Amino acid sequence: MMRLHYAPGSAHSAAVRIVLAEKGMACDARALDLARFEQLDPAFLALNPEGMVPVLEQDGRVLAESFPIMLFLDETHPGPSLAGADSRERYRVHKWGKYVETHIAPNLAIVRWRALGGQVPEAARARLDRLPRPRRDLWRRAERGFDADTVAAAAAALDKAAERLAADLAERDWLAGEAFTLADAAVFPHAIQFEALGHAPSEPVARWLTRVGERPAAAALDKEFFPIATMGPEPARWG
Amino acid sequence: MLDVYTWEPNANSGKPLFCLHEKGVPFTCHYIDMGTHEHHAPEFLAINPDGTIPAIVHDGFTMTESTPAMEYIDEVFEGPPLRPADPFRRWQMRVLMRFMDNIVAPSLAMIASNRLAAPRFVGQDPADLRAKLERIPLPERRATWEKLMFQATPPEDIAESESRVAEAIRRFDSVLAEDAWLAGDDFSLADICVFATFYALPSSRDEEVNDQASPHLMRWLRACHARPGLQAALAMGKGFITQRAAEIRERLGVSEAAGA
Repeated sequence: MMRLHYAPGSAHSAAVRIVLAEKGMACDARALDLARFEQLDPAFLALNPEGMVPVLEQDGRVLAESFPIMLFLDETHPGPSLAGADSRERYRVHKWGKYVETHIAPNLAIVRWRALGGQVPEAARARLDRLPRPRRDLWRRAERGFDADTVAAAAAALDKAAERLAADLAERDWLAGEAFTLADAAVFPHAIQFEALGHAPSEPVARWLTRVGERPAAAALDKEFFPIATMGPEPARWG
Repeated sequence: MLDVYTWEPNANSGKPLFCLHEKGVPFTCHYIDMGTHEHHAPEFLAINPDGTIPAIVHDGFTMTESTPAMEYIDEVFEGPPLRPADPFRRWQMRVLMRFMDNIVAPSLAMIASNRLAAPRFVGQDPADLRAKLERIPLPERRATWEKLMFQATPPEDIAESESRVAEAIRRFDSVLAEDAWLAGDDFSLADICVFATFYALPSSRDEEVNDQASPHLMRWLRACHARPGLQAALAMGKGFITQRAAEIRERLGVSEAAGA
């Protein structure tokens, strides 16, 4: 039996759960509460020292990192492939899987932290010391508050991401091709938050958000797409 | 038709070269001179408006992300497979490539470009440099070049990068203590991804990368440097990289492959 450790409000968790539902896969899902910093409990850090959800346990193996997990699920489980219908579509799937990690998620986390007035509660502060140093440093930066330049650069990156989504969606209904793929699953839970953070989507992106959101796999998670003040992947340190 | 627009066999620029030579796929290489900022010139921006190298164009389909492009190359062309058959090993390969692309390679790039590229800009006309910056499409790249041109990379950022590279050397050494290659028994895209920036470490970081400090990484570096495909890609350089690779092979006691 597979076990998925996830968190409501975590876009990376939602992306994996959409794939599970699209492929009709059963799974023992264990929820963590990010607002209470349960991802820094020793039991979870034993699974993923970075303290990040989601984590998949299967056959004694522990897999982290949402997009590689999504590819793993697609490759190991029967049913229609979600990795793209041909090699060009599959390139686009990988391209978007990477772009989410490098350009969307880290910047979304910063914009969201500022918009929601994110704070590390007193009780959680000592827990941050359990993280590896780079991850701890990112949280310490968040705790001090990101400076205006950092927030502005992150907001500009989200606008750029919205432009790129619009460009790909101008040519087709789904991000990678003529059907729903892992690219749509990976990007949707992040992009659905843009509007609440003041980055209203353009027409093609809004239509695509509706299209993905109406799929039963995404609709079932409707109550879990709320923005939460938590850190994402580390922002790029060198262009 | 397969066209690769790239600079030297180094880091992201090198990935398609290493990958195509390992697969034995013929291609046309167009050298884009990063030293003269050709990747920000209109001719190249017509191919990749982001002004990043490499760009790979296969039968009219343009790819500008080097790691996703390697997955494409492995899938589309004949030749030895460069991705493990086992999905768990594939997951492992992809996680290592992410760690390399997002954390380690940028740290090495920060260190190397501050050492090698930044000094070239000292004494140049600031107005000329500003004009060069204006031509860079992506804001994150522009910010990086600005730091290089005006020697403005904070020393603590470079120290942080040093510490990350040291950590990565330890991590890869421990992975290679368990397995012959980074994603198991067979050479894979993960090995290419790491070798593309690690090939020079026995010379540039010889205090950390040597037979005593990192024996498993050294065993792997020797095995990589002995591969005819990787040697052939390293021979495509027009600058100092090809010469440096030959010196490293000599230092490691690796022989030159016939025909490389």
